[in-house]
Amino acid sequence: MESFFVRYRNLLVLLTVLMAQILGLAVQVRHTAAGHSSLDPGDSSGVRLIRLWAEDLVAPPERGIHGSKLGIDYLWTNYADLRHVRRQNQELQQTIDRLRLEQAALLEDARQGQRLQALLGFQQKYIYSTVAAQAIGSGGSDQSRVFYLDKGSNYGLKPDMAVITADGIVGKVRDVFPSTAQVLLIDDQTSGAGVILETTRIRGILTGNVSGQLEIVGILADERIKPGEVVLTAGGDLIFPRGLPVGVVEKVVRDPDRDAFIDVMVKPAAHLDQLDEVLVVTNTEPRFSPQEQQDISSSETEKGAEAQAIKDQAIRDQLKASQIMAEHLPGLIDPNLPPDQQPLLDNSNPIIVAHPPQALHPDRFTPGANSEPVPASNDSSKPDAPAKPQTPKAQTPTPQKAKPERNP
Amino acid sequence: MSVLGANFRRDLEIRRYPLLLYALLPLAALVLQAWLPRVIGRYDWFDLPLVVTVYFALGRRSPIQGTLMGAAMGLFEDALSHHAIGIDGIAKTAVGFLAASVGVRIDVENHTIRLMLTFLLSLLSSAIFVFTYRILLGLELEWQWFTELFRAIGNSLIAMVLFPLLDRLQIRE
Repeated sequence: MESFFVRYRNLLVLLTVLMAQILGLAVQVRHTAAGHSSLDPGDSSGVRLIRLWAEDLVAPPERGIHGSKLGIDYLWTNYADLRHVRRQNQELQQTIDRLRLEQAALLEDARQGQRLQALLGFQQKYIYSTVAAQAIGSGGSDQSRVFYLDKGSNYGLKPDMAVITADGIVGKVRDVFPSTAQVLLIDDQTSGAGVILETTRIRGILTGNVSGQLEIVGILADERIKPGEVVLTAGGDLIFPRGLPVGVVEKVVRDPDRDAFIDVMVKPAAHLDQLDEVLVVTNTEPRFSPQEQQDISSSETEKGAEAQAIKDQAIRDQLKASQIMAEHLPGLIDPNLPPDQQPLLDNSNPIIVAHPPQALHPDRFTPGANSEPVPASNDSSKPDAPAKPQTPKAQTPTPQKAKPERNP
Repeated sequence: MSVLGANFRRDLEIRRYPLLLYALLPLAALVLQAWLPRVIGRYDWFDLPLVVTVYFALGRRSPIQGTLMGAAMGLFEDALSHHAIGIDGIAKTAVGFLAASVGVRIDVENHTIRLMLTFLLSLLSSAIFVFTYRILLGLELEWQWFTELFRAIGNSLIAMVLFPLLDRLQIRE
């Protein structure tokens, strides 16, 4: 017996290790009601512990490598590569001025929208506070659509928080450790977000397919959906705030499982392959954040007058355009003439107004049948006389008194 | 006699490395495998933990050590991803065992043979991964054979550079 274990110890160790892992897999995968297999979305305590160990082992050197890369990038961008900075600064300043103008001009509309939403009892959530974080690592394979942030629960991160960039949404926080957090990208199969098409206002659920492409599923076939349409978050999933850019429609394909439905393929707005710095939305509130309020007030004070001037100028330009157009069109009122000489009151208009022909056999439906009889004289009998506007009158029989019949 | 010959040859050719290398090299492979895809994007056609597993399994020539090392590397890779833990572990366990078993029987001093073994074991690892994911667990997985081929080629190229460097670090008596 002892010789058996000694002789086959290599194979026995292999089988033991393999069996242990297969049993471990068996408790992590479950069968759905539809008959498909899926991974358990919530890790058990044992699995989470293994992930925590792995993350604690890998995260510190990963953070060091990423910090070194950032340091080299910082040195390069701030000292070595400073060409054209002055010109870029001027362009950025011009952009800021323009954006302030636009912001001040749009502020009143936004406030009006807020008042109307308050009247309707609908509260839109605004991004109130965010935490900036660096992407320091990935899942390590192309089948794994997760990445790691350099901040975790110590910075207030929690599972299911939205992760975004300036370009668009990125994903949601899946698992949080003390100093790191794992983010599930929106192109993963297990990911999901409520979205709305910007122009057609069609809602759907965004998810990733097997090949890692974004698609909106569960939409009835609609010819209005065209490539290039912008996709925004709908705000109904309690993760992503409303109105964030998601991407643009790339193409529309028929749903292979359901005939009446289509799948809308979406090109993501954010560069999901090359993420460096992201924002984690840690809080949403039905009001503007202090930073946004400060920006709005500064825009009002600094650029409010200019925005009003621009708005007035736009109105003047619009009026001027309408005047120019009026000059080129035939008008009914001439501002240069006194009221009694307006062309509308001119009786010498040579245009002959066409009259409908008189009925041969007028009846009670004939226009003017109930009016008084017209005298026999008619100006139209004179061929040379200019025709005057008149109401056509039908010839109606003259009412006669009934005579008593005489019986023979 | 042949068995004695094989054991005698095995005893002669077992490689030994500084203890620090056993700890640092797998850790470096795991860290770089997690960090590099963020830098180079989708073209991550390599598997550094697999290359390190193959190297140590071929050098140590111990199937048990190869099995345990492959299992550890695979489980850590699984833990860093959002896969179920064990999918990569099974693949690398088998690769570590096979590499060590082959290392006992053939001359692995030859660079060409080691590169070919790395290439073939990479393909085997991919095949076991896909089998476990799609057949054993019944999960959906996008799988393209040329991506796995590129990954095997990438691993071989890395091995071509890395193995001679690591050979210099072995302890010679």
